[in-house]
Amino acid sequence: MYGGDEVSAIVLDLGSYTCKAGYAGEDAPKAVFPSVVGSIYQAGATDEVKHEKDSDSMYDSENADKTKTRKLYVGTQALGYRRGHMEVISPIKDGVVVDWDIVDNIWNHAFRERLLIDPKEHPMLLAEPSSNTPQQREKAAELMFESYKVPALFLAKNAVLTSFASGRATSLVVDSGGGSTTVAAVHDGYVLQKLLCFEFIVLTLQFCHDHADACLSILILHDVHTRESTFRLYLGRSSRQAPPTQGNVNMLRTTTTCLQAVSTSPIGGEFLTDCMMKSLESKGVMIKPRYSFKRKEIRPGEFQTVDLDIPNTTESYKLYSQRAIASDIKESVCRVPDTAFEESAYANVPMTPYELPDGQTIEIGADRFKIPDVLFNPSLVQTIPGMESFAGSTSVNGLPQMVIESINRCDADIKRELFSSILLAGGTASMLQLKERLEKELMEEAPQAARVKVLASGNSIERRFSVWIGGSILASLGSFQQLWFSKAEYEEHGVSNIQRKQILPNLAILLPVLMPLARMYCYSVIPTSEGTAGGVGRRQRGEAIGIADSWGLRARAPQVWNLVTVACG
Amino acid sequence: MEAVVVDAGSKLLKAGFASPDQDPALIMPTKMKRVVEDGDGGDASMIEEVTVDPVVRGFIRDWDVMEDLLRHVLYTDLGWEVGDEGQILFAEPLFTPKAIREQLVQLMFETFNVSGFYASEQAVLSLYAVGRISGCTVDIGHGKIDIAPICEGAVQHIASKRFQIGGIDLTNLLVRELCKSNPLMNIDISEVEKLKEQHARCAEDQAAFEETLRACPKETHTLPDGQTITIGREGYIVGEALFQPSVLGLEEYGIVEQLVRSISSVSSENLRQLLENTMLCGGTASMSGFEERFQKEANLCSSSIRPSLIKPPEYMPENLSKNSAWMGGAILAKVVFPQNQHVTKGDYDETGPAIVHKKCF
Repeated sequence: MYGGDEVSAIVLDLGSYTCKAGYAGEDAPKAVFPSVVGSIYQAGATDEVKHEKDSDSMYDSENADKTKTRKLYVGTQALGYRRGHMEVISPIKDGVVVDWDIVDNIWNHAFRERLLIDPKEHPMLLAEPSSNTPQQREKAAELMFESYKVPALFLAKNAVLTSFASGRATSLVVDSGGGSTTVAAVHDGYVLQKLLCFEFIVLTLQFCHDHADACLSILILHDVHTRESTFRLYLGRSSRQAPPTQGNVNMLRTTTTCLQAVSTSPIGGEFLTDCMMKSLESKGVMIKPRYSFKRKEIRPGEFQTVDLDIPNTTESYKLYSQRAIASDIKESVCRVPDTAFEESAYANVPMTPYELPDGQTIEIGADRFKIPDVLFNPSLVQTIPGMESFAGSTSVNGLPQMVIESINRCDADIKRELFSSILLAGGTASMLQLKERLEKELMEEAPQAARVKVLASGNSIERRFSVWIGGSILASLGSFQQLWFSKAEYEEHGVSNIQRKQILPNLAILLPVLMPLARMYCYSVIPTSEGTAGGVGRRQRGEAIGIADSWGLRARAPQVWNLVTVACG
Repeated sequence: MEAVVVDAGSKLLKAGFASPDQDPALIMPTKMKRVVEDGDGGDASMIEEVTVDPVVRGFIRDWDVMEDLLRHVLYTDLGWEVGDEGQILFAEPLFTPKAIREQLVQLMFETFNVSGFYASEQAVLSLYAVGRISGCTVDIGHGKIDIAPICEGAVQHIASKRFQIGGIDLTNLLVRELCKSNPLMNIDISEVEKLKEQHARCAEDQAAFEETLRACPKETHTLPDGQTITIGREGYIVGEALFQPSVLGLEEYGIVEQLVRSISSVSSENLRQLLENTMLCGGTASMSGFEERFQKEANLCSSSIRPSLIKPPEYMPENLSKNSAWMGGAILAKVVFPQNQHVTKGDYDETGPAIVHKKCF
């Protein structure tokens, strides 16, 4: 177990739009840069495949095509400079990492060029998407331990970290980031995911003849999906006094299921930026990327814009530069309308001017309100010329619907609590008036008795980085230090053990709930020296042994297996 | 006794007691000569002298050399007495790794036994020197360039940038250029430094630069060992390098463009205010013609993101841009130490080096 000493942990959050990295304990990440990279394919032999970890480009030595090497440029500086043939590519598609080599480069840039640290000396807290698959988790752990040789690692879900950042253990997190919007329910620090399925056995033994009501209970929990078991021993008094001659093994077998309460939608900040760009294009405004022009002062006070001829600029780079400008327009002029957007109502709204980098001034009117309303009403996208091809607009839900659906999938008792603590996080969530509009829409659709409260921190920096801030808080807690997954554990048990580390808190949550339930049905069992018991007991005992065997307890937890065999004869 | 302010740059170390409207008492090169004796029999003619730079690109890399240097500065030059050390304030560059900070604190308290310590970033201190707490600093030093927007005394790390180029790269460029035009010349790098400081200048704008390349008056310069070299357009090329890094062979944009791009990550309400309070500091920024060229290029940006340089107050001495970090440190020292906001020996003994992150930011 990694004890955690004075060396600061590093918190790393690789989002779909930006990557945030920094020291734990600080209130904002030190390094924020885009999570896309520029890549240039160079034809030529791969004789000099140097692994230059100290410069901001890296030769891709694992490229299957041996006649071409790929040079990657990471970070705002490297990406900002226009290079011929440079394509802009993203490692993440639909929320899932598809190119781990790029992720490796991004992490390398963050550690060695932005934070200026050696990853061998710092434990890492990685933030992962709320619906991350075990394979992705394992790959991330593998990359961290093998390539960077970190001393310890922990993977935490985005929704949980946001919850921590606001100081709540139970909340509904609406994370509206660059690439997508995710709605996840967090209960007691754990994201409610689909089909949690547990079985448990309670065995009680009376271990001392003289004290007829003292008993030792063993509660064995088994997670059906990950096939992990854990057990707890409880020493106490049995709640029912049974005559000593009767023997019984009590066994409760139940499953707890929770349907998928994490939902995602592809509408995020980047999508809205694209809408803005297409809308402006349809009105005849040409957004000139910054590299494509130069300004000259021909006479004092008078400026002239000269277009530069820049050959070999790829489409993806041009799009990337235009998006940067459109994104700035969106952030400075857009506002969420108070009610659903209608063309007629906003036809005469006063226009806001905006000055583009090349000097031209544009006026934006109804689009100011239309674009943000796409979050609430995705079918609006159809009315923007150029975006009709967005196939999913019929199946994608607006934000209020996603929230209601998520809450409805959870248990009835926590629904009230979830309604009253809805957290907004992510860059897109810092749009003006989003909080008020969401509250209004939810109040209309929520059941009568529920009190709807949408919380968002006032500071836009806190909203943008709430996942990172939550990670910073978590990694600096004293009680967290024992949860690190250390290098020694990785080497001993392999990478699949990381799933276990994530599951243990889950079982720990359920135990206090299950124990009283179990105790209600306890009878005492007396292991007599002959090992006999009543007829009814024998069948149940046999069943208990069978179930414990099917869980693989004999191999995985021999001590528990012994207890079971002793108790059941 | 006044607190001591130390600004250890890659080229010059500025140190002195905290007196805000004066130049630092001590400005000396951050170099040490290490005498390496040959092991055989102590033959006097075999002694080599090697120059060591403890500060590389702004960060302290060689701690032993730094310790010796500081010992000399503090005890010999500034007159501290062993057993009666005072308080010290360090100016450090942006993005200093936590480990280096902690090591510095440890060095100060354990080896030098100071009674109080404070560290602050050079960018913030430079702003204090001109009497502001919000603005942008462009610090062009010998080993690095730091661009930082500062709001109310706090550096916005998200929008700051650090470049690993600086005066030293310009010197190397000058060497290359001089070798092209004076092929028979044999020159030492410290000589080239002096030449650079004398002759480097910035053209008025890009068009003027191109003209100068074609036709430029040449001056002859006599070196101490008798050689003569001609220097003319090389000076202008050096001056242009910061505005067009392609001259240096780098794939980057010029400095004004970098400033504008990095600043745009700050939220837009403060943007205007920050850009209107832009400050240039650092040794290399005192090149003749640099400020005017900077302002001219800045005017080409669209009006919402146009940087404009601020004028230093009249009561400050002439060489403000070179020593602004030190002077800001002197101002800060007068505020921090009397109010006991610094790291004291007691704090250090109790918590260890990590206390520096909590108390100094």
